[in-house]
This record gives sequence, C-alpha cells and structure tokens, in this order.
Amino acid sequence: MQWDWAFVAEITPTLLSGLKLTLLITLLSAMVAAALGLAFAIARRSPNRLVARPTGAFVEFIRGTPLLVQLYFIFYVLPDAGILLPPLVAGVIGMGLHYATYTAEVYRAGIENVPKGQWEAARATNLTMRQTWVHVVIPQAVPPMIPALANYLIAMFKETPLLSAITVLELMNQAKSVANSSYRYVEPMTLVGVFFLAMSLVSVVMLRWLERRYGRLGK
Amino acid sequence: MKKTLLTLALLAAPAAAMADTLDDLKAQGFARIAIANEPPFTAVAADGTVSGAAPDVAREIFKRLGVPEVVASISEYGAMIPGLQARRHDAITAGLFMKPERCQAVAYSEPVLCDAEAFLVPKGNPKGFTSYADIAADATATIGAPGGGTEEKLALEAGVPRDRVIVVPDGQSGLKMVQDGRIDVYSLPVLSISDLMAKSGDANLEMVAPVIGAPVYCDGAAFRKEDAALRDAFDVELAKMKESGEFAAIIEPYGFSAAAAMSTSRAQLCGE
Repeated sequence: MQWDWAFVAEITPTLLSGLKLTLLITLLSAMVAAALGLAFAIARRSPNRLVARPTGAFVEFIRGTPLLVQLYFIFYVLPDAGILLPPLVAGVIGMGLHYATYTAEVYRAGIENVPKGQWEAARATNLTMRQTWVHVVIPQAVPPMIPALANYLIAMFKETPLLSAITVLELMNQAKSVANSSYRYVEPMTLVGVFFLAMSLVSVVMLRWLERRYGRLGK
Repeated sequence: MKKTLLTLALLAAPAAAMADTLDDLKAQGFARIAIANEPPFTAVAADGTVSGAAPDVAREIFKRLGVPEVVASISEYGAMIPGLQARRHDAITAGLFMKPERCQAVAYSEPVLCDAEAFLVPKGNPKGFTSYADIAADATATIGAPGGGTEEKLALEAGVPRDRVIVVPDGQSGLKMVQDGRIDVYSLPVLSISDLMAKSGDANLEMVAPVIGAPVYCDGAAFRKEDAALRDAFDVELAKMKESGEFAAIIEPYGFSAAAAMSTSRAQLCGE
C-alpha cells in the first residue's frame, strides 16, 4: 500500500465538488427536517383525533423503515404515479422527511417540557391558540432542543452517501467514481474520511457553543 | 449491491501472499469470483444460484483445475479490480472487458466473452443517437452507464461531461430511468440490453446496436498480476475447451459467439 500525493492533488478538486453537494444536501434537508418536524409535532398534539392519529401513524411508519428504502421508493417508484423528481430534490425530500420524524420527537419532548401553568396562563390572558404557540410555547420549548437538533444535523451529514443509490454525485459517489477509473481506493476513501471528519469536528465545536448558549436556559 | 460475503472472505484470507494460489484454492475447495449480476454475462437467480456465461465458464475451468466450487460475490465494476488486488476475490469473471489500462492492473486470461456496445432508448430513438459522440454533441442529453464500467469510460472519452454521465447502480434501475425519462440513453453491451428489453416486455423501448465507433470488446477472467501462474493454468484449460467445442456449448446458449472470442487474443486486445 503506498500513498501517492500527486494522485491526491489530482483528485482533490473532484472530491471538493462532491463535498459542496454533500453540504448543500445536508443544509437543505436540515431545513426541511426542522420545519416539517415542527409541523409533525404540533399536528400530533392536535386535539382533533383525525389530525393527530394519522400524523402519528405516518411518523411511526417513516421512523420504522430504512432511509434507503424510502429513497428507492421516492426515486424509482413514484414516477409510476406520475411524480418525477430530479435526484437532488428526491434526496432532499427523502432525507428531510426521514429526519423530520426524528426531530418531531425532539420537538415533542421540548413542548411537553413547557410547564402546564404556561398554557393555563396563556388561556387566562385570552391568547388565541396561534398566539400561545408563537409567543409562549415555541420560544420556551425550542432553545433546550437546539443541541439535540444539531446532533441530528451531524447524523444527517454522515448519511448523505446513501444518496449515491439514487445517482446523486455527492462526496462518496465522486470518490467511488474516481476509484473506478484509477483502481485505487486508498487515497479517495482516506480523503472522504478526512473531509467528513473535518466537517464533523467543525460541527461539534458549533454544537458545544450552542449547548453553552442555549442548553442551560432556565436551569 | 453489497460487494462481499465478508465471512467467506475472512475465512479464506490466505496466510502467505507468496504461496501458490492454485494449491491454496485446491486445499480450500473453492475459488472466490467477482460477478456483476448483468445477464447474460453474469446472473443471480432469485434463489441465489449463480449463472451467466462468465461464471459458467469459470466454474468449469476451475473444476478441471481441481477446484470443485466457485463462490461468487456481486460487486460494482469499478470495485472489482481493487477488490481483486485486496484479495477479496481470486478472479473476476464478470464481462469486465479488456482494455489496455485494465491489462496494466490485472492478468487477463485469453478472451472469453465478446460483445459490441448498445444503447437503450425510447421507441423511435427520438434524439437519433447512434454514437457516444452524438450524446456529447447534444448539450441536454444524459446517458446512464454502470459506475466503473466500459460504457462510462467510452462516454467520458467521447467528450460527454461528467455531470451528464449518470452512474446507474444496476440494469433494472437503468431501464426504469429510461422509462421515466430521467436519462435519454442507457448504455450496456448488446446482449445485456436485449436481455433487459426482453425481461421488461416494454414496447416503448428500442435498442440501438451496435453503437457506431465503439469497438467490439472481449472480456477474460482477470487474476492478480502475481497470480500469473494461475492465469496460465486457466488459459491452458480454456484453450482445450475452445478446441473441443465445449466452450461454445457453454456460451452460445447465452447468445455469445465462440468464434468471436477465438478470432482474437489477449495480446491484441490489451495492445501488448
């Protein structure tokens, strides 16, 4: 096994373009997961059973099936129903939806952590449901969740190589295609590991900061 | 898509790299081969039985060499040569076509399966593609090909930019992507495309074959460079089978031409 620096220099630009796509997918999926997860959490708490039950069932269904299966379904099966999504969009929806069901649980925990007295006080001061959520519950519920949510962001980042199954040329897929034409795995796979590690380390530093900033709120 | 029977690979990991590989294989009773599940070159039935022209030829030759069994593992084309070098397989018998740069990396046997390249396109070939260069010339056309396969390289060499060469994981996905209009063309060897079309039974598809300007390629069983002795033993048996007509009896039912494989040689195909 030998390490070839010239080869590293040659493949780095290709891998960096894959890394860019990986980061883009992670950010977009994270946004989808954050927004959709909140919607799931609120719908699941709805007093209307016709909303709460189906949402609960849907969330459990997505949580209980592998992301790879869902990606295949979105990419290869939905076109039969006339829904043809480009690979990147399919990937973002798949990842976003999958992680939304995880973040929904984080939100639920956070929301349930808001003391009951707060809800009663909101009702006593004649706030509407919307006002209660926007001005009372969410501002108190979200900060303690941020570290947990950020954890899922890192997990999501590390799951992007799954998207190679639906032809997205992200970092891992780029590395494979480089290895395919050079018959060398040592450098491309090492670089993929290094890139992922570097990005994860940066995220961990940010995570620690978020924990310090928000994690101890109210304690 | 997972490439190895890990336990088997671990069990079979040879202790001494320099030992005679054929003796090791005889002692352990089986050889590990890499295949791709691309009928008719290599095929895995729903119950796990491995067939296809390339494994069938390899199984017979290994038997004659005193190795009673072959254990196949499915691999991506691009992962085969690194997998062979990493000693995960003892041979590649997958329709991995001989090209000079591959000949640099592995020790090929004499030619086994020969085929030209084909395109799978929607009925009527709406964009009129007949060569890889046509696809390069159309700025909106996309082509699907197996990752690390010959077709991917042909497309890239013809000047199709990387972002228009879609790496498709397997034949079924490629067919589906053409049906769904995700890619304009799916490229594989002629016999693979006709097999896919026959299985799909979709009347809205059409095959363009042979692709203009793409040469006829032949594969061979590929061995590690240091296993040249094993390769030579394989070649001897292969030559005998070609001579006796048993070779034709194995590959012709799959649609391959034995005459094509016998009319050329490794030296010619590798550009040696």
